[in-house]
Amino acid sequence: MRTFADSNPVASAIYFFSVTGIAMFSANPVISAISLVGAITLYLMNNGRKSLSLHLFSAGLFAVMALVNPLVSHNGATVLFVMNNNPITLEALIYGVCAAVTVIAVLYWFRSFSDVMTADKLLYLFGALSPKLALTLSMALRYVPLFGAQIKKVHASQKALGLYKDENIVDSFKGGMRIFSIMITWALENGIVTADSMTARGYGAGKRSRFSIFRFKLDDVLLICAVLALSTVTLFGVRNADFEFYPYISTPEITAEVAVGYVSYALMTVLPVIIAVKEELKWKYLKSKI
Amino acid sequence: MIVIENSRLRSAVKIAVPFMLIPLLVVLGATVFDEQRYLIVSIGVALLSLLLFAAGYEKKPTGSRRMVIVAVMTALCIAGRFIPFFKPVTAITVITAIYLGGEAGFLVGALSALLSNFYFGQGPWTPFQMIAWGMIGLLAGFLANPIKRHKWFMLVYGVLAGIVYSLVMDIWTVIWYDGSFRSELYLTAILTALPHTIMYSVSNFIFLWFMAKPFGEKLERIKIKYGI
Repeated sequence: MRTFADSNPVASAIYFFSVTGIAMFSANPVISAISLVGAITLYLMNNGRKSLSLHLFSAGLFAVMALVNPLVSHNGATVLFVMNNNPITLEALIYGVCAAVTVIAVLYWFRSFSDVMTADKLLYLFGALSPKLALTLSMALRYVPLFGAQIKKVHASQKALGLYKDENIVDSFKGGMRIFSIMITWALENGIVTADSMTARGYGAGKRSRFSIFRFKLDDVLLICAVLALSTVTLFGVRNADFEFYPYISTPEITAEVAVGYVSYALMTVLPVIIAVKEELKWKYLKSKI
Repeated sequence: MIVIENSRLRSAVKIAVPFMLIPLLVVLGATVFDEQRYLIVSIGVALLSLLLFAAGYEKKPTGSRRMVIVAVMTALCIAGRFIPFFKPVTAITVITAIYLGGEAGFLVGALSALLSNFYFGQGPWTPFQMIAWGMIGLLAGFLANPIKRHKWFMLVYGVLAGIVYSLVMDIWTVIWYDGSFRSELYLTAILTALPHTIMYSVSNFIFLWFMAKPFGEKLERIKIKYGI
């Protein structure tokens, strides 16, 4: 099975950047709402019912963001009530809700982005840009767990030497500082050894080549084409569909053009789901033939 | 694929990005698109600036020792971001910058923003964090001499860096929320972020106070011993 997460990082990146880019760029509440539904669907598909706290956090953030705007902005003609001599207007409230929908949608997209675009995939993309930068990044990534392990070792040996007690706050602070100092010296010296070893093996001697495990397949080309085509149709369709909030809310007329734009954006948001369903059906079909 | 291995292409990027693409994007944002497109323009400019830096870094022959030291300092920053409340990222960035130069400082700041977001979540804010922290490092590199000479100057720089970092990220928060810049929202954002701003400044102060000297001595020693 080759799901959306297995597609080439270039294709995934283009997908995520287009889908979030359109949601942020269009400033169109309908697009934002479609985007939010699509983003939550994708997130639930990948993560199931776990991470309830995350959904609660998003809901809380949504409420705060929706309420901030009417509290600070007093534009709009329909006054709901007056608080501290400041009018709270319906238009400002709706504007706040729309802005919050966009922000939360982008947050959900980027959560899925973080799940799909793991460090190795981003390094692959960076490697295309600058191999040296990607190498620096990947070394730093490797050092994080290495330092963690080394800190444990230093801590254990310091304890075995009987140099400090854990229960005493002053002692434990001093011990912590000593471990940190030891760690920095060790990390720098260890880095120099790594660098010398790299030089000895010919780093920087010739043109730098790079290995990548990701291949470009027909599926990836199709995905990229689909994303680009749907983005173009969406942007073209909603180019004149501007919403006005102040002083009165005015929504654009829904012409055929605008409707096509909305539908193509909706299709774009569910592309990963479509791919998953397609692969699932294919798998079932192949299994039924055995 | 889109590999910039071709040196001619890389120098083309170096000229095209600052002198053509970024101005073009800003002018387009101001004239062709109607209002509420600040977000996309700002993200575009941020990404292009990072691209420019990547092209410059790729072109310069950096010794492998220097490169590894940058990776080590970045990893120390990320390991430090797990400390609750107090974040040593800015302090380590500043220390790297004054001992290894502005470029190393920019790299450590920008890369630790990028890498720590692998753990804390990537988002459209990543390029802005990268640039904000990178600039703190770059500027510290330019001011290396006074920072090294006077401890109070370094501490003031650390505190200011915390405040300015927060103010810059608040601008971005407002643009993200509203699509344009509104001063009353900006004030709200600053007030909401005030605890974080204070935390940033206080941790910069504390970490620079305690770490600058021992950390600096170690870096100086490595520099002399291995000739970086």
